Amino acid sequence: MTALLLDHVTKDFGDKRAVDDLSFAVRDGEVFGFLGGNGAGKTTSLRMVLDIIRPTSGRIEILGRAPGRENSADLGFLPEERGLYRTMTALDTITYFGRLKGMTRNDARSQGKILLDRFGLGSSAGTKVEKLSKGMAQKVQLATAVVNAPRLLILDEPFSGLDPVNQGLLEDEIRRLSKAGSTIVFSTHVMQHAERLCDRLLLLADGRKKFEGTQDEARATLPARLTLAARTTPAKLPGVASAVAIGERDGWKDWDVRLKPGGDPADLLQACTEKSFALRRFEQSRPSLHDVFIHIVGGEEGRA
Amino acid sequence: MNNPIFLVAAREFRQIAATKGFWITLLIIPLALAIGPIAGQLMQKSHTENVMLIDRSGQAAAAITRRIELDHQRQVLQSLSRYSESHDFDRADPKAVWTQHDHYYSDAEVQAFIASGGAEHAKAVLSRAAPPKTQPFDEPDRDYRIVSTPPAIAAASPAELAKRLPGLINPPKKDHATEPLDYAVYIPADFASGRSPVQLWSDGPPPGELMGVLQDTLTRAMRLHFLEAQGVKPQMADAAQLIAPMIAVNRPAAGKGHEQVIIRSILPLLVSYLLLMSLMLSGSWMLQGTVEERSNKLIEAVLACVSPNQFMYGKLLGTIAVGLTMVALWVTAAIVAAFATQGMIADFLRPALEPLAHPGVALAMIYYFLAGYLMMSMIFLTIGAMSDSFRDAQAYLSPIILVIAMPFAIIAQAVLRDPNSLGIRIMSWIPIYTPFTMLARMGAGVSLWEVIGCGITLAAFVALEVIFLGRVFRASLLGAGSKPSLARIGHLMRGRDSA
Repeated sequence: MTALLLDHVTKDFGDKRAVDDLSFAVRDGEVFGFLGGNGAGKTTSLRMVLDIIRPTSGRIEILGRAPGRENSADLGFLPEERGLYRTMTALDTITYFGRLKGMTRNDARSQGKILLDRFGLGSSAGTKVEKLSKGMAQKVQLATAVVNAPRLLILDEPFSGLDPVNQGLLEDEIRRLSKAGSTIVFSTHVMQHAERLCDRLLLLADGRKKFEGTQDEARATLPARLTLAARTTPAKLPGVASAVAIGERDGWKDWDVRLKPGGDPADLLQACTEKSFALRRFEQSRPSLHDVFIHIVGGEEGRA
Repeated sequence: MNNPIFLVAAREFRQIAATKGFWITLLIIPLALAIGPIAGQLMQKSHTENVMLIDRSGQAAAAITRRIELDHQRQVLQSLSRYSESHDFDRADPKAVWTQHDHYYSDAEVQAFIASGGAEHAKAVLSRAAPPKTQPFDEPDRDYRIVSTPPAIAAASPAELAKRLPGLINPPKKDHATEPLDYAVYIPADFASGRSPVQLWSDGPPPGELMGVLQDTLTRAMRLHFLEAQGVKPQMADAAQLIAPMIAVNRPAAGKGHEQVIIRSILPLLVSYLLLMSLMLSGSWMLQGTVEERSNKLIEAVLACVSPNQFMYGKLLGTIAVGLTMVALWVTAAIVAAFATQGMIADFLRPALEPLAHPGVALAMIYYFLAGYLMMSMIFLTIGAMSDSFRDAQAYLSPIILVIAMPFAIIAQAVLRDPNSLGIRIMSWIPIYTPFTMLARMGAGVSLWEVIGCGITLAAFVALEVIFLGRVFRASLLGAGSKPSLARIGHLMRGRDSA
């Protein structure tokens, strides 16, 4: 089943096109990364999914239904810009958001207590938000998003502003919810988090989709890169695009080898064997998502 | 109760109710009601002014003193008559002079009243008809009291008096050893001949009533002197002084006529004032809350669960609930004060509550109150949604408060003067003033077509507000940065930039 579907969605703000003909689908139960630089259209897309703003054209389906507040019982949302009611207590805040999502008061409170205990804030349940530290408030914010054990959890730049401890806590919570069957969509421009968490991902630039697929499929878009230790240059071997010497030891040179697009390192190894090309080292380096992002989206956004 | 509108409203209410400002404001009116009469009594200052008479004629001072006492007793009699009439106590002694409310009391009637025992006797008679908790009759203060003349002054020459007396009239430094003095009157021995003037010392404009007393009393003495000089017998001349017309007074009964307009307008004016006050307070609290929601970046999380419209209606409902709670508590405190106390408050409030006895008037007042609340709250809410800080909000709010609140004092005074004057009727049709004006007019009676017409106009205005300001509210919720200009607000109102 498809948890989230965007079908040729476009959003204009006056003359500016924020999202341009965006189509993708998130399958039930997967962790989906929504990657893009600043101003790529991530937040606008997620706001359309949540019906906070309406698309100019196109169709959105969320858990098989049109966007709307009737879905809020099944949704969790942690916005990029976060805040809480300063004079409400931690538990009241979580209860309030739980009730806005259709939970009964008792359910929201008991679930709020469980979450606060799990996040190490059990003793601060009755403390006003204004008296909590920033890190504690961040945990409360996360609790407001997941209090209803959402079927679909949408996180907009969830790691921004979090200290390392809370980043770990959030990653754990994402994995826990995923294991429990929730579908998770999160936007980020920090590739390390996506690398650790995502089953599939989408790359967005200037409001347009640049890529959608698994991490392996993403990496496959980059030419394969190898480090070979050989006495002579492997540049003439079939499938090699370039070979640059990067060091030498005992008469053996280390070569940074790039294959032509679509080239398979296994084919190169076979060619070396067939041509008796002496090798002391054959090491395939796996491209990072950061490399993929830079490759697909471009250096300008990759630095963002 | 999981309706998002009610949830937002309840949170709004709780947030405001949790502030100290709310409770302080809530308790101010009941405290004022409790402290007011006590403070009033403590600070009550006698209005009686002291007069010194320096009489060289030997007879004028006694005549003036008699006249001042007679005039004071006439005032007591008039007040007693009013008191008896308004409390329906005439039955205590139907033949008593204070049961005759249709004419100005003559000197003879006042003298008869004094001879019969005056106010003390009348109070004893009235107490027979008065229920146990009736506020007792309160004698009016004397206007003037004659103080004794020190021998040194009594013997001083006119030139010396002219030197010394100005320093004795209300001196800047109070001398507690001597009696305070407001006026001094010198009557020369031959004043009746008209050769020497009577002189009065005062530290301000001459008091009209005292001048009337002096003029009348001394003129009588001069006329008597003149008639006797013309050969008229003293008894005849004296009798001529007593000739006075009988003046019938035609006026509405106590509590009727213009007095009724004033009494019946007290509650509506009070409600109108409470509307203004509670609106300004709860509106600014709501505005603060909305600014906080925007500046704390929590709007987006809320909007993921409730629609902008639900959010808007919830906040409006919460604010109205805050305002109504304040007003309900204040009105309850006033009613409790009216029925639990005796005295001024009760006497004012009981007849003032009379308009509420008519269901139509009560309903119209509730309608205008709620519609007024909705109208103003919508403005506050939109300003809150457009502002990143309370300082931003003030820039929009100040001119609006000025336009709406400033004419209130004029409305209140104009309603008491003439609730159906052209100006007031025109203001009733201007929607931003309609709730205040119509509420203020309710006690005096407003024609049905005006109540309905102004009500429909106001409802239409509120509906337009919800549509146009609602667009600005929705479009501004997630916006940030500089305050929108008037042109931009107009743009948003036309729905040209909706999300």
